[in-house]
Amino acid sequence: MKSNNNTNNTTDISNAEKATQVLVELHEIKKIFYTDDVETHALNNINLTINKGEYLSISGPSGCGKSTLLSLLGLLDNSSSGRYTLAGHDVSDLNRDERSAIRNKEIGFIFQAFNLISDLTVAENVELPLTYRSDFDAKQRAVMVNTALEKVDMLHRADHFPSQLSGGQQQRVAVARAISAKPSIILADEPTGNLDSKNAQIVMALLDQLHQEGATICMVTHDPRSAARAERMIEVFDGKIVADQLSQTPTAIAV
Amino acid sequence: MSITLDIKYAARLLHKKPVFTALTVFIVAIGLGLTLYTYSLLSSLVFKPLLLNKEAPVISIEAEYNQSHLFRIGVDAFDFLTIRNEMDAIAEFGVYEEGTALIGQSQQNSATRKYNSVRIEWNVFEFAGVKPIMGRALKAADHFEGAEPVVVLGYDIWQHYFLAQEDIVDSIILVNAIATRVVGIMPAGFSFPTVAQLWQPIEQNMLTPTDRSRSWLFAYARLKKEVSFDAFSQELALLNKKVVKDLPDNMRWRLDDFEGYLRAVPYKEASITQFYSIFITMAVVVVLILLLACINVGNLLLARVNERFKEVAIRVALGVPRNRLILQMLLESIFICTVGGFLAVLIAGWGLELSNSVFDQMFLVNAAKPFWWHVSLDADAIILLILSVIAMIAITGFIPAWRALSGDFNAVLRDGTRGSQGKKAARASQILVISEILLSCVVLVIATILLSTSYSAGQADYGVDTKNRITATVELPEESYPIRRDTEFELEDTLKRTAFYYQLKDTLEQMPNIEGVAFMSQLPGTGEGASFFEIEGRAAAVYNENPYSNNEVVSRDAWQALGMTVLSGRDFNQSDISEEIDTIIINESIAQDFFPDGDAVGQRVRRAFRNPDADREGGWQTIVGVVSDTYHGSAMRTSSEQYSSYFMLDNIGFNWIDMAIHYSGSQALAEKSLQQAINQVNSNATAYHIQSYDELISQPMILVSAISKVFLLCGVIAVFLAASGIYAVAANSISQRTQEIGVRRALGASDSNIMQLFMKKALWQLVFGLSIGITLSLLVVNQMTDTMVINQGSYIVGLIAIPLLIIIMVLVATYVPTRKVVLMEPSDALHHD
Repeated sequence: MKSNNNTNNTTDISNAEKATQVLVELHEIKKIFYTDDVETHALNNINLTINKGEYLSISGPSGCGKSTLLSLLGLLDNSSSGRYTLAGHDVSDLNRDERSAIRNKEIGFIFQAFNLISDLTVAENVELPLTYRSDFDAKQRAVMVNTALEKVDMLHRADHFPSQLSGGQQQRVAVARAISAKPSIILADEPTGNLDSKNAQIVMALLDQLHQEGATICMVTHDPRSAARAERMIEVFDGKIVADQLSQTPTAIAV
Repeated sequence: MSITLDIKYAARLLHKKPVFTALTVFIVAIGLGLTLYTYSLLSSLVFKPLLLNKEAPVISIEAEYNQSHLFRIGVDAFDFLTIRNEMDAIAEFGVYEEGTALIGQSQQNSATRKYNSVRIEWNVFEFAGVKPIMGRALKAADHFEGAEPVVVLGYDIWQHYFLAQEDIVDSIILVNAIATRVVGIMPAGFSFPTVAQLWQPIEQNMLTPTDRSRSWLFAYARLKKEVSFDAFSQELALLNKKVVKDLPDNMRWRLDDFEGYLRAVPYKEASITQFYSIFITMAVVVVLILLLACINVGNLLLARVNERFKEVAIRVALGVPRNRLILQMLLESIFICTVGGFLAVLIAGWGLELSNSVFDQMFLVNAAKPFWWHVSLDADAIILLILSVIAMIAITGFIPAWRALSGDFNAVLRDGTRGSQGKKAARASQILVISEILLSCVVLVIATILLSTSYSAGQADYGVDTKNRITATVELPEESYPIRRDTEFELEDTLKRTAFYYQLKDTLEQMPNIEGVAFMSQLPGTGEGASFFEIEGRAAAVYNENPYSNNEVVSRDAWQALGMTVLSGRDFNQSDISEEIDTIIINESIAQDFFPDGDAVGQRVRRAFRNPDADREGGWQTIVGVVSDTYHGSAMRTSSEQYSSYFMLDNIGFNWIDMAIHYSGSQALAEKSLQQAINQVNSNATAYHIQSYDELISQPMILVSAISKVFLLCGVIAVFLAASGIYAVAANSISQRTQEIGVRRALGASDSNIMQLFMKKALWQLVFGLSIGITLSLLVVNQMTDTMVINQGSYIVGLIAIPLLIIIMVLVATYVPTRKVVLMEPSDALHHD
C-alpha cells in the first residue's frame, strides 16, 4: 500500500508492482507553522510515494496544505518531522547547499506566476539553473537551452525579455527552464492559474507531452479539468491526503 | 476633517517607528544644520559683498597675490594715480598703507603700546558711511606737507588706553614718538579698511606722486552703478598691460611670473585669498553632505513606501483622490523636515558660536581680526533654511509619492504575483548606491587629507626647541632711531638701532631666569616664502633655475637660545659688520644638497633676480657657517621651505623684529622680565605678540585646524550617512528582489551563488562610484595644493584607507541584508509579500 493510511481511495495501486521505480517517498511528514502562540498544522502525517514517470495532480481547497506539500517535495522548505527520500537518498536532513544542489539536478519547477527573471532574456532564464552547475560548459549549456526552447516552441523568442512575451509564452519559457537540466521530477504549482483558457490548454498539452516522453510530473491545481489530465489524482484536506486515485480518463480527455 | 485624519495617521506611523523617525529627523537636521552654518560662515567671510552702508559693493585694488609667499602685494602710489586719473568706472576711491603704531602719552611716562594703524586717504570715513562719535574726521588739508600730525582714534584705544578720557579730542599724544593731535574718535566696532585701530592721513606725495617709488599701497573703491565688476576687471586688465609696458626695469620686481600686476578683487575675498580654495572646498563638501542627506531621507521614505505598498494599494482601490494620496505621502516629509529644520538652527547657531571663538583665539595675539569676521544667523540664512526645508520636503516627499502613484496596485492586490525588482527601480537603486559611494568618497577623502595634513603639520619638527621659550615682536619708534639711508651715516645709524636689540639681549641675559635671547626677522615655524640664489661659478642661465631659500635676519649668538647648533664654520661676529652685507650662514640642507663635499664654508652665493642689472657685479656673500635645519613657515603651506639662509642683524636695521627668549621658571615671570628689560633699555620701545613658542607655531594653523575639524565632522557624518544610506538602499533593493532570490534558490542556486550575485553587483558599483569619487577628490584636493603642502602620508590615508573603508562599508551593507534574505526558506522567499 503506497498511499496514505487515511485515504478512502477507490483504486489501489500495487506497491510491489512499481517498487523498483519509486522516485519520491514521504513518510509521516508533518509541517507545523508557529505564529506567536498559534500552532498551525499545515501537513499532518503525510505518507506519499511517487514513482518514476508518474503524472500526478494534487488538489484541494485553499489553505488545505497542497502548496506546502509541493514546497516540501521541492525541498523549498523543511518538514517539522518525518522522512523524505528522493531517488533513493534520504533528503530530510540535508543542509541548505545540499538541498540546493539536489533541487538543481533533480527537480524542475513551474510556478503559477511564471517567476521568470525580468532582467534576463528568455535564453538566459532557461540557462539559469544550468549556470549553477559546473558540469556543463557554455557550449553544452547553449545546446541544452536550445533543445528546451525548441521543445516548447519558443526558440524564436530566445533573445526577448519576459516583459515582451504574453503570459502563455512566459509559462512555456518557464516549462523550458524546468526541463532544461533534465530533472527527475517536475513540480508545477498551479501552472495555468494565471493564464487564459487557450494558453492554459497549450501549457497543459506541453506537460502531457513531457509526461509521454517519460517525465515525472507532480502538479498542484484546484482546476478539476487540469487535475483530471494527470494519471493519478491526490486530494488534500486539512493537511491530510484524503484521496489518492488513478484518473479514469488521464491526459486524452481533458480540454 | 479628512486632513486631520491624515495628520493623525501620519503622526501615528511616525510614533510607531521611533527609530526611523529619530534617524530621519537627525539626518535632516545635520544636513540642513551644516548647510546653514556653512552658508552663514562663507557669506559673512567671503561671498556677501562688503557694502558699508551703501548700495555698491566695496572692492580692493591691489597687485597680484603672491602665491609663493602667500601674501597680498601693494601697488606703487604712482600707478594708483594713473588708475585715479584714467579709470572713469570708479565712483569712489582711496588709498591706504597698513601697519602698526606705538601709542604713548606725551605728558606721562606711561608705557607705549602697539596698535594696528593705517595711513589713509581723508575720504575713508565718508566712503564707509561712518562719522566720528567725537571730534572730526580726517580732511584733505591733513595730507599736506607741513600740516600738523593728526590722528583719529578707534573706540578701543580711547576706552582702554586713554581710559575714556573725555577731553581726548584736541589733546596731543605720541604716535611712534611723534607728538600728534587727536582729532576724532570713531564708534565702537569700526575698523575699516580691515583691522585699523587708528587712522592717520597718508602723505600728500602718496596721493599725487610725481615719480615711481617703492611704496606699497592698497586701494578701496566703489564702482559706478552702471559698471559691473567684470567689466571693470577687463578695463583694469587693459590698463595693466599699459602700466606693465611702461614699467622701468628697476621696478619690474613688482610683476609676478606672468607679467601680472594690477588686479581688482571683491573686498572680502582679498583678505582670505590664501584660504579661498579651502572655503570653496568646504562649500563643496557641505553641498555633498546635503545631497547625501537628501538621498538618504528620500531613500528611507521610499523604503517606507515599499513597506506600505499594500496599504497604498488598498487606498487606491478604495478610490483615494490622487492629491490626497500625495498629501499623505508628503505629511511625513513635512513633519520630518520641519522638525529637522528647527534642530538645524540650533546646530548652526552652536557652530557659529564656536567659529566666533575660534576667530577670537586666532587673532588674540595680533588683534588683526577683520571687522566682518563675526558670524551669525541673519535673515538671509533663515530664508535659505525655509527654502531648503521646502526643497527637502519636495525632494524627500516627492520620491515616495511618485513611487506610491506609479505602482501596479492591481498586481499587488492580486495575491503575491509581484515579480522581481523592476528595471527602473533597479537602476534607481544602483544610481543611489553609486551616488552614496561617490559622495561619501569625495567628502571623506578631502576630510582625511586635510586632517592628516593638519595633524602632520602639528607634529612637524621645525628644528627648534620650543620648550620654555616665549616669543615676541619688539618694535622701536622709528623716529627715535632714524637711519639716514644712502648716506655715509647709514651704517652708523643702523648700528645705533641694532645696538638697542643687543642691549636688550644683554639686559635680559643678565636676569637669573633668562637662559638666552635670539632675534630673528621671522622665527622658525613662521615666516614663509623663498627667493633664488646663485652659487658662484654655478649660476643658472635663467634666474628661476637657481636654488632658492628662505632668508632671515638673525642676531649674533642666537642659535643656542633657539635650540639650534652651528655645525661647521662659525657664528656671525663683530668682524662681519660691514657696509656691504658680505657674509651669510646657510642651513644644513643647503650645505648637503649643494655642497655635498662638505666645502660650503668659504664658498660665495648671492641673490638671483629676475631682472638684474646687465652689468651687475659683486653682491656676493661668503658662507661663514652652517647651522642645523629649521623649517620656516607652517609645514602644511606651500610657501614653507627647508632651505634657509641667514644674514646678520647688525648690518640691517629693522625697526621691529621677532625674538625668542629661553627661560627657566614660569612663563609669566619671563614675560615680566621682558617688559622690565624694555623699560630699562628704552621705554618708548614696545614688545607685543607675546606668547609661548608653541602658540606661535600653532597660530597660522588655527583656521585650517578649525576647518579641518569641520571637515572631520563632515567626514563622520558622511560615513554615518553613507553607511546607513547604502544599507537602506541595499536592504530595500534586496528586499524587493526577495522573490527573485526565491526563484533562484528554487532553481538550485546555493547560498554562495546568491551572495556572489549581490556582492558582484556591489563590487561593480564600488568600482564605478570610487573611480568617479577618487577622480573628483583629486581634482578638489589639487585645488587646495595652491596653498597647502599635502604630504605623501596624507595621500596614502586619503586614497587608500578611505576607499578601503568604503569598500568594507558597502560590502558589509550589502552582505547583511542579503544574508538575511538568503537565510529565508525558498518557499518563504517565493511567497514574500
